[in-house]
Amino acid sequence: MSVWESQYREAASQLASPENLDERILQQASQYKPAPSNSRLASGAAGSFAAVAVLVLLIHPAQYLGALTPGGSTGTGTDPLENWQMQQKAPTPVERDQWFALRGEVRAGNYVTLCEQWRKEQRGVLDARLPADLARKARRHCRLLPTP
Amino acid sequence: MSRKHYQHLNDEALLEFYHSTRNLGAFQHLYSRYKDSLYRYCAQMNFNYASRVLEELWTSLLEHPPALQGRLLRSWLFIRLNRLLRRHPEETLETSPATSRAGPPGAPLLEAIQQLPRRLRNIVLLHMECQLPLATIADIEGISLKQCRDHYHDGKEQLREILHGPRRQPWRIAEVTV
Repeated sequence: MSVWESQYREAASQLASPENLDERILQQASQYKPAPSNSRLASGAAGSFAAVAVLVLLIHPAQYLGALTPGGSTGTGTDPLENWQMQQKAPTPVERDQWFALRGEVRAGNYVTLCEQWRKEQRGVLDARLPADLARKARRHCRLLPTP
Repeated sequence: MSRKHYQHLNDEALLEFYHSTRNLGAFQHLYSRYKDSLYRYCAQMNFNYASRVLEELWTSLLEHPPALQGRLLRSWLFIRLNRLLRRHPEETLETSPATSRAGPPGAPLLEAIQQLPRRLRNIVLLHMECQLPLATIADIEGISLKQCRDHYHDGKEQLREILHGPRRQPWRIAEVTV
């Protein structure tokens, strides 16, 4: 800052804006209000449109058509909501081996029952034929007794 | 946003904030930055119309805040103020003694500035009071930068002469012809 400028600053520092002028201008400034922004209005309108759209989607009958008529046919007469769970398959019955006990005896070395069954089969009394493995063991271990 | 935050904002950001919110505190802060400088310039250029012109200036800023886009608010204010001052008739020393009221009594430099021609006074004040660069002042006055610089130096020279009298001339021995 040159000497001139510093001298000027010193002299002009006593000059200041009058208070009544400041008050008038600030009072004028206080009268200005921000322009109303329509963003809130727009967001409100968008929100209500979205709510209406969701409601229409929820209550529109078309969206239930697929759910109510899975086969594409309507009016079956039964309430579909009763069978809303998946149908479970009936358990497959386990077939019991009727020769299981006899095989156990044979494995244990008891051939009495086997030979009895064998004889019955030979006589044609027994309906069910012995399986191949039991028949093989019967032929090896059992004697054919003369018929009474 | 508190008053402390306004201090960290530059003029453009503060003006933009005020324009969007019309926050009186923001305007008050902006106003306090320039009010004294504007008044000093205005009162020394045209004391009788200073208040009216300043009101016009701030009203225009309140109604239509300028889009600065990187320019200085200081320059905008003083350029606009200069235009407004030119609309009002300026009193002269002969017609009105009010010019002496521009400065406080006992400030010979301010009284000397009042005695400068209008253009020189404007250039000197815009540079010393408003801190505008000479190039901007040349644009305001519509003259070349060289002319503006010459006027500024002329103004300072005239001030020096008013305050301290004419510059001493070297002694010259007059030729005596018989």
